[in-house]
Amino acid sequence: MLKAANPERPDALTWALLALGLLLLPAGLLVALSAPPDVNQGYLVRIMYLHVPTAWLGYLAFFVTFLYSLLYLFRQNPRHDRVAMVSAEIGLVFMGLALLTGMLWARPTWGVYWTWEPRLTTTAILFAVYVGYFLLRGAIEDPELRRKAAAAVGILGFINVPISYMSVKWWRSLHQTQSIDLTTGRVILAPEMLQALLFNLLVFTLLYLGFVRFRGFVAALEARKEES
Amino acid sequence: MRRVWLLALRDLRLEVRDRTGILSLLAFFAVMLFVMALALGPEEGPLRRAAPGVLWVALAFMSTLLSTRAFALEVEEGTLDDLLLTPGGKEWIYFGKLLSQVLLLLPLGLLALLLAAGLFHLPLERGLPLLLTLSLGALGYASVATFYAGLLARLRGREALLPLLLFSLVVPVVLASVRATVGLVEGLPLAELADWWRLLLVFDVVYITACALLFPVVMEG
Repeated sequence: MLKAANPERPDALTWALLALGLLLLPAGLLVALSAPPDVNQGYLVRIMYLHVPTAWLGYLAFFVTFLYSLLYLFRQNPRHDRVAMVSAEIGLVFMGLALLTGMLWARPTWGVYWTWEPRLTTTAILFAVYVGYFLLRGAIEDPELRRKAAAAVGILGFINVPISYMSVKWWRSLHQTQSIDLTTGRVILAPEMLQALLFNLLVFTLLYLGFVRFRGFVAALEARKEES
Repeated sequence: MRRVWLLALRDLRLEVRDRTGILSLLAFFAVMLFVMALALGPEEGPLRRAAPGVLWVALAFMSTLLSTRAFALEVEEGTLDDLLLTPGGKEWIYFGKLLSQVLLLLPLGLLALLLAAGLFHLPLERGLPLLLTLSLGALGYASVATFYAGLLARLRGREALLPLLLFSLVVPVVLASVRATVGLVEGLPLAELADWWRLLLVFDVVYITACALLFPVVMEG
């Protein structure tokens, strides 16, 4: 994801992605706020336009971490490790936001902020896995061992992502099932709501790409400083 | 294959000769069950309901302590590098350690099961399905625990890091084993529980394959 080995400053694409993401964010908000209320949930459903994209980005970011961890183990290029770390960091932030928005939605809907239900539990555990990822990175001084150990956790930890995603189908309980089911391609959303959701998904993905590239650049600078 | 056996047998012999290690583990486990039984109160109902959860959490602790021991001795005696220097692939070290872990964890788990049956009124009528759950769950714990123990073997502070990394990863195993055990206790038909066993089997296969593939890459250098 980062082309230049030793960039002086973030490249044009990074700035473009960041700018586009940030500019479209208010538009996404507007679309979400003007979307029609839900039959059952009323205006409360609008949290979904924030909740689903953040959760989706968490999954995506952890997948990128998984991919670049694998790449690192095969190629032993520190750059791949940096992308994996940066992506896990952003994934952790977005996963935290997903948990938070989920809790805000749960209070008026279920009457409690938190309940030990499979989707919630597996998501919280996923969060804990990547907290462990950073604790492990902090605990190892030897840079090569640190990169290898982190890559191993990044790969093994990702096994929990499909479990978390499928949990609403395996254990039918409180949490909504997916509005857009990736495994069967079934969509159960009104067209206007689907458009609003997809638009927000796009905006957040753009932001994610911008963040990863920008943070990767900062990480590269840090690594260079550590070496010299 | 011969190497795997030799390594596992050597580890087992070391553990049996030492004895104090396993005995203290078992004592720790018994005390933990006592405290839990005491905390959860004297009535039979709550105790029985809590039994599967307590059993599997206690087994998770046991497998952590056991796996730390598996590599601690190698590091203390400086024999880990000798193992890693033997020519050929490195997967056999993982499999050897895993085998010795499972061979230790299974009898310990069986004792734990009997202990839990006594203290928590856990019914043992359906022994065979319980054993199946125990073996699949123990294998799931041991597969990840062994891998992480090897990864962290040369690190200071591994005693705290290992449970942290391990517990979050083996949660699916805990979940599936507890659900299967609860089903057995409540007397559900076996066909309804087959899903949990299938899930456990899939985890075991996925984790063992992933760990065996990663182990040589991570341990080198």
